[in-house]
Amino acid sequence: MAQNINPHYASSSNPAKQNEDTIKLKDNHAVSKRLQKELMELMRCADKGISAFPESENLFKWIGTINGPQETVYAGHKYKLSLEFPNSYPYAPPMVKFITPCFHPNVDTCGLICLDILKDKWTALYDVRTVLLSIQSLLAEPNTHSPLNQQASYLWPNQPAYKKYVDEFYNKHRDS
Amino acid sequence: MKVTVKSWTGVATWRWVANDDNCGICRMPFDSCCPDCKLPGDDCPLVWGACSHCFHIHCIVKWLHSQPQQQCPMCRQDWKFNNK
Ligand SMILES: [Zn+2]
Ligand SMILES: [Zn+2]
Ligand SMILES: [Zn+2]
Repeated sequence: MAQNINPHYASSSNPAKQNEDTIKLKDNHAVSKRLQKELMELMRCADKGISAFPESENLFKWIGTINGPQETVYAGHKYKLSLEFPNSYPYAPPMVKFITPCFHPNVDTCGLICLDILKDKWTALYDVRTVLLSIQSLLAEPNTHSPLNQQASYLWPNQPAYKKYVDEFYNKHRDS
Repeated sequence: MKVTVKSWTGVATWRWVANDDNCGICRMPFDSCCPDCKLPGDDCPLVWGACSHCFHIHCIVKWLHSQPQQQCPMCRQDWKFNNK
């Protein structure tokens, strides 16, 4: 957790830590710069159905929203996610989690997402936008072969029943 | 990553993929240096891979060091410096 806090905002009164902080600051500077560029890009050309913004002045933690894709069981739903960027971003992927509970074969009960591009298929060319768009397309096309949520995976082939369940689930949890 | 194109409207989506003006890794323009460097110029040269993709040398080296496999972040081919 602590390493994701930008030292610009974290207190660094401990002189013994100052050297370490200077190194981190240099890294963070590059990461902040890239995140600022991404933010500007996102605001300039907003995509339909996704948005993201830093949670506070801390550029290292963002809140994203994804609209459920049209013509899927998630249509009309709106999901909030948290994105945390490590100091090694974009060389390492952000940590992405659903905040709004999401009933989906590849999302566990804590909101953790199983998606290859957030793990071994990550590349430094991906960004907040591609991450959110990929999660949006994961909602439409789950991978039911390696599910985190067995129940969702079982139910998925029966789309009318799935739709009914997911609507109830969403309405019950949307504000929690 | 799996993307199904259902309709194509010709907007500037996926623009960065074909963006020749910026380094895809740090997003800084090629005529300026990477965010770790102060001054543009010889300290922060651009390098090309055999696959023809171009990055700041510092950015691609940092990427290669962070990965178990030495692949171009753009096309995932094995990265070889193109010394032309
Ligand atoms: Zn660069
Ligand atoms: Zn450089
Ligand atoms: Zn390449």
